[in-house]
Amino acid sequence: MAPDGHSIRQAGELALPGVAIGAVGGAMAGGLTLLSGQPAGWAAVAALTLALPLALLGGLYSSLMGLPGPFRPGLFAPAGLFWLIGFPLARLTQQVSTGLILDGRVLLAGGVAGFLAYQALVSLGFAIGFVWLHERLMPHWLVQLAPRNAVARTVLQRYIEHAEALSRGRRAHGKGQTKGVR
Amino acid sequence: MDTSSTPATEPTAANAGQEERVWRAGKLEPMPIRTLPDAPPSVHILGPTVFLVALGVGMGESYMWPRLVLLFGPEIRWLFLVGVTLQAVVMLEMARYAMATGESIFFGAARVFKPLMWFFFVVAIAVYIWPGHLSAGAAALEEITGIPWTVTAVSGLILVGVVFSLAKVIYSLLETLLSILIGALVIGTAIVAAMVGTWDDVVSTVAGMFAIGYIPDGAMTAAWFPVIVGSIAFAGPSGMQQMWYTLHLRDSGAGMGAHIPQIRGLRHAGEEEAMPARGFMFDTDNPEEMKKWRGWRRWVTFDALLLFWGITMLVTISFTVIAQAAARQTPGVREIIASGEREAALSAMADSFASAGSSVLGVIFLGFISLIGLNATLGLFDSFSRGQADMTYHFVKGAKKWRMSHLYAAFLWGVIAFGIGILLFGPADGPSGILDTLAFLSTFAMGAYCVTLLLVNNRMLPKPIRPKWWTNLIIGFGAVFYLGMLLYSLFAYGVVVG
Repeated sequence: MAPDGHSIRQAGELALPGVAIGAVGGAMAGGLTLLSGQPAGWAAVAALTLALPLALLGGLYSSLMGLPGPFRPGLFAPAGLFWLIGFPLARLTQQVSTGLILDGRVLLAGGVAGFLAYQALVSLGFAIGFVWLHERLMPHWLVQLAPRNAVARTVLQRYIEHAEALSRGRRAHGKGQTKGVR
Repeated sequence: MDTSSTPATEPTAANAGQEERVWRAGKLEPMPIRTLPDAPPSVHILGPTVFLVALGVGMGESYMWPRLVLLFGPEIRWLFLVGVTLQAVVMLEMARYAMATGESIFFGAARVFKPLMWFFFVVAIAVYIWPGHLSAGAAALEEITGIPWTVTAVSGLILVGVVFSLAKVIYSLLETLLSILIGALVIGTAIVAAMVGTWDDVVSTVAGMFAIGYIPDGAMTAAWFPVIVGSIAFAGPSGMQQMWYTLHLRDSGAGMGAHIPQIRGLRHAGEEEAMPARGFMFDTDNPEEMKKWRGWRRWVTFDALLLFWGITMLVTISFTVIAQAAARQTPGVREIIASGEREAALSAMADSFASAGSSVLGVIFLGFISLIGLNATLGLFDSFSRGQADMTYHFVKGAKKWRMSHLYAAFLWGVIAFGIGILLFGPADGPSGILDTLAFLSTFAMGAYCVTLLLVNNRMLPKPIRPKWWTNLIIGFGAVFYLGMLLYSLFAYGVVVG
């Protein structure tokens, strides 16, 4: 059954962790430009043009976890494919915007195809880092949302089931049986 | 000693009549038979491998290999491929013993021959008390902030000690901290590589990994051979890091580690459950248990291949691309990197990006070097203390008077105090001198643990879960590879330390 408007809105509320990781990832460039003594304008452009698309895409990824589909806790492949397309687009946006704003021209190493192919390759690294952090942050955000958001409760339940599957062994066979064997 | 059959179902002398089944391995206390927990799903994201990745993705990946690529061309990277692949197999074999028994590899070594374990106890102290990794990161931070590196390094050491002393359960804290740091590192490296590299860089870097057998002329010299040997040892986790991984597996409850309590921070030491005097074994005659065992093997194989091998490769390729971009933008960088002054080289690479109009990247690059230093320090100090505490607790007379947490804290603060002393008053050799010494000494420990692995897994485990012949062949190759190169360097060039 296709999700209704209310579910989509609630899924949208899940976006925060992905937005945060994307924004921080993109803003690394800009924030540190200031430290290196470059003009604030340059820093702002570098930060915004990468942080904005990465944050939007990151938020979309988080929201997709609340909708039916392949995005599930503990899975890497869907995230890998998502960023395989998303990361090169974000970099293209940055390269074109900074070029036009700061230089008045756009320069892409290796042409559009070469540029996108290279960015797609690097996207794998970004995807691993993104999922790594997302899996850490998302459960905390879901706990906050759960009392007022049914979609968050469902996703949180999936995370709990996943965590239980991972730690089943320890709970079932760990502490209890350790006692008395010394 | 009965090590050739499946677990003995005989009652022990102490438990006569109670039908306590045990597995006898070596001269130490037999392991009681217990149930093997169910394995988690094999496809997963977070697990104990986070430690190996945190420790492994260090100076080797970010500096030593990019440097060799600039000097000898991308073809030299086939040696990196050999080094990391070998380490992935070693990781699987370390996990075999730890998951089957809940014991560390040090305990396994003691079951074979106790002096073997004491050898690693001494080597760990000799190699790991030097604060080399922290000082490297702090030097990079000085480039960014201007704060003297000794101040940052000493503060970092004290911070590490306080954090681990206050933690309730050390494993959870460390896993969270390292996960966030690695996540930031991987994302940052990807962004820097995305902004400075080109398709050609990455194609030449990857293609170079398959130039099997390529040895450039300059490599076989007294000046470079020891450096290459050290770099192969630094490909992925080096020195004793793989041995410490068995302690992390145990503490995370992998396999029979589920029957062993977790180590707690000093402030919560009183809550720690009593540590059993030995590990446990599962019934390898039971098909259900063997099915669960295969599940655990699939779980750790996923860790070894995707998380460990994959991330290590990815970060190294990214850093090599970054170094190639720096050399292309500023030709002088190549000479500085070749000169072997690490701080100067890292700084030159950072400047190169800055002068090419990507000023930000220079700072980001140095920021990541600091992050790598912090990552390595957190992981190394924790692991060192964990390993030494484990050996002391089980094998030093009277040590069981204390809890494992107390011994952990004693080793942790001991290594921190020594580190501060060296940073403030030690030989002003600079960070590089320390790191190069570690790189070469690591090789010896790695050859020795390959031999230990062969002995422990083939003699101390029941037959059904012993390694296959081809795995033994690879680990045997590892022993010859590490020790052979060390001895060749010594006799052919008369150089021990690169």
